[in-house]
Amino acid sequence: MTADSGCYLAVGAALFVLGGIGFVTRRNLILIFLSVELMLHGVSLTLLTFGRMHNNLEGQSFTIFMLTVAACEAALGLSLVLSLYQRTKSLDVDIWSKLSEPDLPKWDKPVQPLESRLERAEHPASPRLTKAGGMPEIDDDFPVELAATTDPRKVLTPSPPDDDY
Amino acid sequence: MTDSAVQGVLYGSLAAGAVGMWLATSPRTGALRVLGSFLASAGLIAAVAMFSGPGGDVTNKILFWLFAGSALLSGVLMVTSREPVYAALWFALATLGTCGLFMMQAAPFLAAATIIVYAGAIIVTFLFVIMLAQQQGRSFYDYRARTPIMSIVASWLMLAALLWNFQEWQQRAPAAETGPALTAEAASNPFSQPSELNKFDSLRALGLSLFGDYLYAVEIAGTLLLVAGIGAIAIAPRRAEGTI
Repeated sequence: MTADSGCYLAVGAALFVLGGIGFVTRRNLILIFLSVELMLHGVSLTLLTFGRMHNNLEGQSFTIFMLTVAACEAALGLSLVLSLYQRTKSLDVDIWSKLSEPDLPKWDKPVQPLESRLERAEHPASPRLTKAGGMPEIDDDFPVELAATTDPRKVLTPSPPDDDY
Repeated sequence: MTDSAVQGVLYGSLAAGAVGMWLATSPRTGALRVLGSFLASAGLIAAVAMFSGPGGDVTNKILFWLFAGSALLSGVLMVTSREPVYAALWFALATLGTCGLFMMQAAPFLAAATIIVYAGAIIVTFLFVIMLAQQQGRSFYDYRARTPIMSIVASWLMLAALLWNFQEWQQRAPAAETGPALTAEAASNPFSQPSELNKFDSLRALGLSLFGDYLYAVEIAGTLLLVAGIGAIAIAPRRAEGTI
């Protein structure tokens, strides 16, 4: 520990903790991202202080990479926030707490007994995933059989290729 | 001050800061919330003051307290501000304070780069998004903090643990000129060691470290930027073709 690194480390820890409080307590998607940036500031200050403590430049190099990744994260995160806003016209993060599948246990509701969940499900063996995308275009040169079932493990069954294939 | 007195003042100021944060995040009148913000930042600054201060002359000390105080105060105000635009501007101020601390930690290039990247690019993007996605009038979700007491208790416990650790370090190795020597693995990055020719706070030494020891990482970071840019363009919502 050098003479003056304690106060810098303390400021870095305080900034990190403030950002953490913001991340948990804010409900606006944009401000959650801003709080993460505040946490990153605290971490960069700590890295710089450690680098100076050891008289080594690796801390500064690492901070430059953190800056790069923070810029990438802000770009991707803000475009995600914008597209989420376009769907709901609201920045409230609580709207998106219902993203899970409907029959999974919820964090704020008591778990249903297993029998009632199994009774309700029509195909208990198959996973219930949301349909994504359209039907694939099937090439005639590579024949496939479409099974008459909704079990996703049996939908696409490629027939064995010819001998000279 | 003796060690126990220092510890007492440290934990007392941390407790005052926790009470201030609780006041500032709770749904109360404006005056109480402003008072809570100032109490929280004063508690944090007092906790920082319990550590051995910055070395150097009086100018150094004044600059340190200016930068650290502005960073902590605007950090508190950013976390507790109810208007998203004000929160973004407080974050810009916190960035400036942090960059001043970078400068005092012999990293002038990083201070400049952080100001350019954060104040010049990230804050502007945040403000654009806030304007694009702003509600008419006040939105209720900016006015109710979620689980303030639990998060403050958890965060302050973590802060107290960190500060206690730092104090232990300080007592074990008080005010050495340079820190402990690096381990063999860390010291095997030869370009990251400052020398007579490459002083620690010079840009030349940083460039040698970055493009000497971390050349492949720099290439990967550049690729990451490209991928993230393409991904952001692909994710961002756009109009249907021909409507503009």
